[in-house]
Amino acid sequence: MTQPTTERTETVTEQRIEVSGLRKRFGATQALDGMSFTVSPGRVTGFVGPNGAGKSTTIRVILGLDTPDEGRALVGGVPYRRLRRPLRHVGALVDAAALQPSRTGRNHLLWLARSQRLPVRRIDEVIELVGLAGAARRKAGGFSLGMRQRLGIAAAMLGDPPVVILDEPFNGMDPEGIIWIRRFLRSLAAEGRVVLVSSHLMGELQGTADQVVVVGRGRVVADAPVDELVAAESGGRVRLRTAEPAEAAAALRRDGLAATVAARDTVTVTGADAQRIVAVLARSGVPFAEVTSQRASLEDVYLRLTSGESEYRAVLDREQDR
Amino acid sequence: MSAALLAEWTKLRTLASTAWLLLGTAVATIGVGVAVVAGTHQSAGSGVVDTTALALTGIDLGQAVVVVLAVLAVAEEYGTGMVRTTFAAMPRRIIVLAAKATTVAALTAVAGAVAVAGSLLAGRAALPAGSGSVLGAITHGPALRAATGSVVYLVLVALLALGIATAVRDTAVSIGVVLAVLYLPTLLAQAVSDPLRRHVEQLAPMTAGLGIRATTNLSALPISPWEGIGVVAAWAAGALVLAGLLLRHRDP
Repeated sequence: MTQPTTERTETVTEQRIEVSGLRKRFGATQALDGMSFTVSPGRVTGFVGPNGAGKSTTIRVILGLDTPDEGRALVGGVPYRRLRRPLRHVGALVDAAALQPSRTGRNHLLWLARSQRLPVRRIDEVIELVGLAGAARRKAGGFSLGMRQRLGIAAAMLGDPPVVILDEPFNGMDPEGIIWIRRFLRSLAAEGRVVLVSSHLMGELQGTADQVVVVGRGRVVADAPVDELVAAESGGRVRLRTAEPAEAAAALRRDGLAATVAARDTVTVTGADAQRIVAVLARSGVPFAEVTSQRASLEDVYLRLTSGESEYRAVLDREQDR
Repeated sequence: MSAALLAEWTKLRTLASTAWLLLGTAVATIGVGVAVVAGTHQSAGSGVVDTTALALTGIDLGQAVVVVLAVLAVAEEYGTGMVRTTFAAMPRRIIVLAAKATTVAALTAVAGAVAVAGSLLAGRAALPAGSGSVLGAITHGPALRAATGSVVYLVLVALLALGIATAVRDTAVSIGVVLAVLYLPTLLAQAVSDPLRRHVEQLAPMTAGLGIRATTNLSALPISPWEGIGVVAAWAAGALVLAGLLLRHRDP
């Protein structure tokens, strides 16, 4: 779809987003405080953090909209502002309301297509892609937030870009829309694109993101594959339900496991998998009703990571040790 | 540049307000011109009346509509947040400003030409036969200068408004500022005496620029017609340069 071009500024060698050492201050607020991370192709990278953590500012810096006080952001090795027809390289949803309400959805896409010298047929393709075919000729001002998000995503996909950045695309989406975006993000990654999607709600990204960059107070708190983060948080915790908790705990301790009686019929064990616990209990002849591996949700990880400055540090150090 | 031009033209074309404002410019200009020509004839009675200038009186009002058109082309984008979409699509902001200036100027030129030609034609029709006053043909020297100069004036006012709106970034405030720049010195000049009054009229864009409408008694003008247009051009250029500098150094 994108035609080869002779412009030097458009030779993008390696599709990646590289953010290094971004600092930016708005008055008394240090919005970005050494933000650094890299986003690679072929997977969905979640960009999460509480409101005000610096996600949107970082995305605006990547898109050349905001100028950082320090540091830089590159897309495919090039600063965004050097891209001649940027939407053919980077598609972005910055803000679902970033359109003029009195213009129709289709005409919003039309001026964008003109600005990149994209064929008009591409407009109908992206309208179809985001499921807006029925509404595209209506004024965007009458769109629901979910429809505006879809229009924004259509705009992002207009240039069939190898890099896609979506800032809070789940906002205002109905359940059907959320499921649609999740599938859509997976398909973009499967096509080998760079996909960065921000959200202030971690749960929305569970099962969608392969990698998460967790930010707080303007810098990266954790940057790891989702599986790894969840496993680290779970820490091999197993919950055991039994009528004889004291005996069970004693038997497990004899086998060198850290077991504590948590309730009248519950024992929690850390540092062992369910299989070993079952084996120990069977050997000791202690009856039990249920053995459950406690798997943390991405949300648990996120909440702990962003709950306080001191707690960030531990994870940060762990990340750096790896 | 041409892609940006096409994009900005598409933006303006796809807003319903654009067509209405262009029509409004012509209607306001012609309407006031006709009313003034008809009214003046009845009361003036005799003497040398610059009927061309009279017929073009409507520009006093028509320029305000042009101001709204130019301000909306920029400030509405800031108001809605669309400016971020614009600069993400076209990161070279000066190019965007140039494209906006070109499209707004072109549309203003068309609407201005219709408004000016319409005013002169309608003004002629409004003059009763045998009244002694003759509205010169547009092709004749001073009238031609007045006509083309008036269109140029409107285009420059549009560019001034565009520059100020880019600096101010708010629709209502921008319109207020531009109208103040245009009308306030005119009122202010009435309150002071010469030579201060003459200086104000030489430097203010509206009093200096609208001398271009005169076809007779040019020595009574505060500044010669084309010099006056030069003053407006300087205002417009200053506003655009300021806009360009702010665009480069400010986050949208």
